[in-house]
Amino acid sequence: MKSLDEILQNSSSGMYYGNRVLLPFHFTALKIVIEKDIITDFSIREKGAYINEYPDFTEIYFIDYPVLEESISKFENIKMVIVEKGKDIFDFSTHRKIAIRPEGDHILSIKEIDENTIFIE
Amino acid sequence: MINKNLSILIILVLILILHLGVLQAADQSISDTSLVTDNTISNHSEEHPLPAAFMVIPFITLLLMIATGPLFYRHFWEKHYSNIAMILGLITVGYYLFVIHNTQTVLHTLDEYISFIALLGSLFVASGGILIKIDRKSTPMLNSLLFLFGAVIANIIGTTGASMLLIRPFLKINKDRIKPYHIIFFIFIVSNIGGALTPIGDPPLFLGFLKGVGFFWVIEHVWYIWLPTVLAIILIFYFVDARNMPESKSNISYSNKIEFKGFKSVIFLGLIILSVFIDPAVVDWVPSFDPLPIGIREIIMLSIIFIAYKSAPPEILAANEFDFEPIKEVAYLFVGIFATMMPALQLIAYESNVYGQSLTPGIFYWATGSLSAFLDNAPTYLNFLSAAMGKFNLDVNIPDQVLQFELAHPIYLSAVSVAAVFFGAMTYIGNGPNFMVKSISERAGIRMPSFFGFLFKYAVPILLPIFILVWLVFYFGKV
Repeated sequence: MKSLDEILQNSSSGMYYGNRVLLPFHFTALKIVIEKDIITDFSIREKGAYINEYPDFTEIYFIDYPVLEESISKFENIKMVIVEKGKDIFDFSTHRKIAIRPEGDHILSIKEIDENTIFIE
Repeated sequence: MINKNLSILIILVLILILHLGVLQAADQSISDTSLVTDNTISNHSEEHPLPAAFMVIPFITLLLMIATGPLFYRHFWEKHYSNIAMILGLITVGYYLFVIHNTQTVLHTLDEYISFIALLGSLFVASGGILIKIDRKSTPMLNSLLFLFGAVIANIIGTTGASMLLIRPFLKINKDRIKPYHIIFFIFIVSNIGGALTPIGDPPLFLGFLKGVGFFWVIEHVWYIWLPTVLAIILIFYFVDARNMPESKSNISYSNKIEFKGFKSVIFLGLIILSVFIDPAVVDWVPSFDPLPIGIREIIMLSIIFIAYKSAPPEILAANEFDFEPIKEVAYLFVGIFATMMPALQLIAYESNVYGQSLTPGIFYWATGSLSAFLDNAPTYLNFLSAAMGKFNLDVNIPDQVLQFELAHPIYLSAVSVAAVFFGAMTYIGNGPNFMVKSISERAGIRMPSFFGFLFKYAVPILLPIFILVWLVFYFGKV
């Protein structure tokens, strides 16, 4: 499995089908912002985002957004604060801010959030 | 879902415009055309039967749902708020059209709504094409200065323009330590109270200007109330922010540079501000499209929405994560608010005219203010201005009498003007930009307080004591 840095450097993409997102790396999500939903509770009792880890990828179901492509507009992203698997979650310097967005044809772009985009951890 | 609803909303508005246009034309052909055309809802109440008191129920229902929806049934509310606002609005519109046969008030409200959303929408889109980067360390002093700057420019580009222009750089400056109180003070100062000095600042003052209040009257008679109020709120912010300043441990270096991109959009902002004055009541040669509830000004603003969006550099829109959703939310909620508040405004206008003789400047201040916090402050201002002038047997629709009123009874005009603008900061729905600033902040990952949280945790403890002081110093005991 590729590391997050490799994915970002190679501009590798993920996939999406409806409200299911597949990302080619393992991570722990700390915060996800989709539209104006701020999701920090990833337990099964909350609807927001449901995350599963498989050997080769991590999947997220966005329960309230049945068709992601319709919910995320042209200049918008789904923004996430994540920690790559194996890194120290308690060290804030390992927290990465990632933007993903459905580009069409099930291709999901993965980018690091730059300094121009406002995203508060 | 949203796009489908938006299409329905646009179609409904168009049908309503055409329908009301026909009815209005029929009304005019029947009625005596020598009557003075009035623009206030208060005066409509003289020509049409008052709505039944129970017709405020849709408005109260909508307010309660706006307040409780995001708290207790968030998913249902987020999916259906547009439908709820439209249904409640249509109930009230249906009552006006088919039960009390009052097309004028509906047409006038539609006129105000289109003006409102055209201004907010155009400022929102134009400011979305501007990118301001301030690479400086966030300090209480820098934030306070930014608030003061925002308060001043709110009088030049309006509270909406100033809010949309400054909220993103404000978030970026504070990105490492931002808390909800930062945004709330921003709403207090930049989105509301700052804009109390000129008719461009806030819509109620512009309505007063259209009625004949001098352009510089407000700044001459309100600056000594505006200045201490703005400084007091900034001072409170400064102490709160200083207490929340983390001990500096980071080695981040700042260039102290300010970068500005999107000059084309600045031109659009200028055009929007100029177009505010393109009104038949201000400039003689501007044609009126009466009875259609749209004018040249709105056509210019709506065109700017399209042109500004299409011509904005994609990299700036991407950096701002530009999305129409915040303005759509305002458009839906306020179509419901504007429609459902018609009965409330008409009843208030009636009551204020009945009891106008016994009202003091202090009572006008509290009545205008408390209602402006929950209703649209522009018609509230006009209703209480009308009532205050009625107390002295003056008519708000005669510009010479407005001039006479501002010269002879400035304290009344000051009380109504100050309260209409200041109290818009009390709730999220008190002024258009409040909701938009909240929405932009939430999209940046900041969890904002609920409707009641905003009201009881921030507005009541911070603003209310200041507003009481304003009342005691400037209006209490005055007649």
